[in-house]
Amino acid sequence: MDATIITDLFGEFTPIVPMLIMLLGALIMPAVTFGSKRRNAVTAAALVVIAASAAVNIVLLLADYTGTYAELFEYDAFAGLMVLLFQTVAFLVTLVSASSTETTRLHFGAFNALLLAATTGMMFVATANDLITIFVGVELASITSYLLAAMKRNDPRASEAAVKYVIVGGMSTAITIYGLSMLYGVAGTTNIEEIAVALSTQGFSWAFGIALVTMIAGYGFKIAAVPFHMWAPDVYEGSSTPVSAFLATGSKKLGIVVFFKIFLILFVAGTAVASFATEEVQYVFAIIAALTMTVGNVVAIAQNNIKRMLAYSSIAQAGYILIVLAVMSEYALAGGLFHMFTHVFMKGGAFLVVGALICAGVGEKISDYRGLGRRAPFLAFAMLLFLFSLAGIPPLAGFTSKLILFSATIYDGNGVMTQWIWLAFIAILNSAISLYYYARVVKAMYVETGDSEKIKVPKAFTAAIAICVLFTIVLGVYPQLILDFCSDAAAALFG
Amino acid sequence: MFIEYTWLVPLIPLLCFAIVGFFGKKTPEGGAYIAIAGAALACVISVLVAYEFFTSAAYSDPGYVTAQIVWFTLPGGYTLHFGYYIDSLACLMMLFASFISTLIFVYSKGYMHEQGVKKRRYYAEVSLFLTGMLGLAVSSNFLEMFIFWEIMGLCSYLLIGFWSFNHPEGDDAADNAASAAKKAFLVTRLGDVSLMAGLFVLLYTFGNLDYANMFSPLSLALADPNMILIGSLLIFGGVIGKSAQFPLLDWLPDAMAGPTTVSALIHAATMVKAGVYLVARCFPLFTQDPVIMLFVAVIGGITAFFAATMALNNMNIKRVLAYSTLSQLGYMFLALGTGGYLMALGLKNLDHHLVIAGAAGYVAGCLHMVNHAFFKALLFLGSGSVIHAVGTEDMRLMGGLRKKMRITSLAMLLGSLSIAGFPFFSGFWSKELILETVMHASDYGTEGYIFSILWMLGVVTAFMTAFYMFRMWYMTFGGKPRHASEHCHGESPASMTAPLMVLSIFAVGFGFTILFGFDSLISIGVDHTNALVVGGGEAKGFEYFTDIFESIYTYLTVALVLIAIGIAYVLYNKREFNPAKFSGDEKSVLYTALTKRWWFPQLYNQIGWKLGYGIARGVDFVDRQIIDGTVNGLSAAVTGGGEILSKGQSGDVRRYTGVVTAGIVVLFIGILAIFWYMEGI
Repeated sequence: MDATIITDLFGEFTPIVPMLIMLLGALIMPAVTFGSKRRNAVTAAALVVIAASAAVNIVLLLADYTGTYAELFEYDAFAGLMVLLFQTVAFLVTLVSASSTETTRLHFGAFNALLLAATTGMMFVATANDLITIFVGVELASITSYLLAAMKRNDPRASEAAVKYVIVGGMSTAITIYGLSMLYGVAGTTNIEEIAVALSTQGFSWAFGIALVTMIAGYGFKIAAVPFHMWAPDVYEGSSTPVSAFLATGSKKLGIVVFFKIFLILFVAGTAVASFATEEVQYVFAIIAALTMTVGNVVAIAQNNIKRMLAYSSIAQAGYILIVLAVMSEYALAGGLFHMFTHVFMKGGAFLVVGALICAGVGEKISDYRGLGRRAPFLAFAMLLFLFSLAGIPPLAGFTSKLILFSATIYDGNGVMTQWIWLAFIAILNSAISLYYYARVVKAMYVETGDSEKIKVPKAFTAAIAICVLFTIVLGVYPQLILDFCSDAAAALFG
Repeated sequence: MFIEYTWLVPLIPLLCFAIVGFFGKKTPEGGAYIAIAGAALACVISVLVAYEFFTSAAYSDPGYVTAQIVWFTLPGGYTLHFGYYIDSLACLMMLFASFISTLIFVYSKGYMHEQGVKKRRYYAEVSLFLTGMLGLAVSSNFLEMFIFWEIMGLCSYLLIGFWSFNHPEGDDAADNAASAAKKAFLVTRLGDVSLMAGLFVLLYTFGNLDYANMFSPLSLALADPNMILIGSLLIFGGVIGKSAQFPLLDWLPDAMAGPTTVSALIHAATMVKAGVYLVARCFPLFTQDPVIMLFVAVIGGITAFFAATMALNNMNIKRVLAYSTLSQLGYMFLALGTGGYLMALGLKNLDHHLVIAGAAGYVAGCLHMVNHAFFKALLFLGSGSVIHAVGTEDMRLMGGLRKKMRITSLAMLLGSLSIAGFPFFSGFWSKELILETVMHASDYGTEGYIFSILWMLGVVTAFMTAFYMFRMWYMTFGGKPRHASEHCHGESPASMTAPLMVLSIFAVGFGFTILFGFDSLISIGVDHTNALVVGGGEAKGFEYFTDIFESIYTYLTVALVLIAIGIAYVLYNKREFNPAKFSGDEKSVLYTALTKRWWFPQLYNQIGWKLGYGIARGVDFVDRQIIDGTVNGLSAAVTGGGEILSKGQSGDVRRYTGVVTAGIVVLFIGILAIFWYMEGI
């Protein structure tokens, strides 16, 4: 496909056009609200904005467009794919937010504006190639998410969640900026590629070591990597469910993208230098990955609230994706990116099912799901697919992406064996553990008996869940749909 | 002509699953006829495919037909395929799985008649189950096989839990069904972890997972032997889970909670046979190292023995059959393992005779697999017929049913004779061949003494098998009628007895195929390219007959079987002695050990429940109480007002963020430790 339509129209702004459209949408959202006063109209406007932005992005992505803007933003296959991921998340969440009974009614325009702004921040991070733009993008996404988390009607848990989120988030920001300034001090520049060059000539220094630790801690908070994960279950539980879905699938990916952007580029450059100690850092990430997936899965077993359970399960999923940073191969990155996509549909879908059921008056406890198989056959079946996909049961998407991701720990794609086999065993064992708590939900839905009254959920939820079901199946049986893009993206990042 | 349409074999039951699943309510008998027609059609196509394969040129060279399409390409350049791989083993599997399933489905029509709307779910799920098994049989590579393997795992979960609500015997039974279903799913899943890890290792070792590629002598020679060893053992780990071998044997007896037809399906035609099939399929791989096959044989021998002991004093008719399945599966693994061990030695030392001796083990294992499929389906369906008639599974309440249920009792008698290894019944031939191979193996290698032990275990197991099978038969059909039998309303309907009659014929006669060229179709040998190929061996025919009857050990086994039947007759038919005398009124340690299944379930519970859940609770406590407690104060502060707010800010927030700070410190120290340990700086 040819991108000339877009480059002709926007000229040098082309790399940031998808974000500009979203930003514009965020700004007009309050006006739309005042103009129409109807929630559906606002949602429609937001969806049009996201679709327009996504359309531009898809054209650029298919045309293999690359370009930079003001040396701060660089659009390539990796950026394009991640932008697409954030747009997908935003689309799904926006689609359901109007019909959810949990989201705010009074400030619905603001809600949508914040959602679009947060997505814009994430997309900026995906295209950024400078520490400053990364930091600003992350902050844009974070500060708006704090507000989104607080915007739930009549529930003190939301304020608890939001306050907790703000305090820990603020702290992590402080830590991050400390690390970033250390890195600037070491390299003398904020451009990531120039930092990589500077580091590969200097080798390892303790100042860089401090920068490393603080950045892992700061952005580890976004990912909810152990031990910086504690906020996640409370916030996911307290927020309205569409926002939980947004945080679990979008915000978490943001942190991962930052990790990929900063660390992979630095370390790929660093491997050229013997004194750089890349392998040690890989071990650090391997241990964090193993801890994150194990703690997430083990704690999830004891949860009775389904949102908390899903929160812990997404901590575990983040642990799987962190394998990429331990292995640091192009193959692993492609697998990681693919898993990030499948995770959007299966985890997002699971949260949407929970959200839909809350709208219909079903509680958040796993015991409230008893007999759901008869009360809401479609929702229960969709939930079954999402959970089994998360557990990695073939032929669903989660299986295919885990297959690629876990196999990356054994060989690097060039026929060379890696030393990370132990990580593969921990990961596979973990996905077996995870089946235990997923099976509990399935058992409640299909095996136990509860109320027999049928459940009706809003159409928007059904549509969004149907999209997730579709992709959970399609990406399982036909992974090539996205996998090629993931390979290209991985190649682009590894340069 | 037909082989190109092999993909229809798993696809037709899959379509039935979809049709029954969506429209089952509108069709008569909840879609029973559709499911039966689908299975029958799959069976017909299997016959056509098998016929064409056995008459084609590909049968003699290279011994298989395969075709596949690219499914997807991994970023590393590995290509994963989807397709079919037809050889003698696949044909055999396809034929007996679809044939027996058809009979079981026909039987289900009568058995499940009173289940009402739930029938739709039943027929949809069994069709999917059959898809899993047939797909597994014709898969062209390990990944495809794994997908069907998991589909079967899922279906077994759903089917075992079928009566988890509205159980005919009340709520306790329903809870049992639910937990049994979960147990089956999770335990087999533990094996699947191992299998999946094995797939990764093999994918790395061979570069792809296609059977045709992996089993070629060239790839096997190029592969790293250590990786083959690790990969093979991991694959066998998956088999242990699926085929309920020691030490993961606990789920299968509990899986009896499902409808009896499901048990028949799981035990005879599908599920547990998938493990046996996989070992037979992986023969070229596993024989690369004698250690792998030795391990298979030992696990098989131990399982055969232990499972048989557990069946000795069980009072539940279905559970006795379940233990006997475990035990018979143990025999199959013993046969395949022993044969493979001999073959591996033969390949290593270039000893042609050992390879041929090993092939006998393979033949025996495969024959026993098919024989077992017939007599176990017969026994389960027969027990279903009994349960249908008397309404209980407790054998202490039965007795004297011989007169009331003539067809069932006769069919069960034939099945029992066959499984007990009574001369000239099917089970006799395969069991004697297995024991003979094991005996043969004890002469070779440094591990010969292990096979001597395994042989003894096998013979004792044969004795116990005959005993518990006839104990079951006499308790159910012999003697005077007891409580439940008096309410028996006679023989089951024709849709249930007809499959019994068909199965009886096979249970009695299928073993004779060994004398008429079974091994000329299903065997394994070295072809002109030095590849191990399943298929055309030289038919030994009546040589087996002379082999078996020239061996003194055959008469020993037969004598033991007869003695066992005699003991069972005296104890349970004549009831002249009270069996409780031998067990100290059922209070002796051994008796308790057997009823408690050698305390295996308790062990699992201790490990799984106490340890796993305990850790989870502990971690959750820290995560939730300490941190959440803090934040509860905080949120109260926010919603409650300034006074509490100040308190919240003064103490609790610090503690909360303290965890993050502590995390950073730990991370820093951790990094230092790693750097120091690896001498990075």
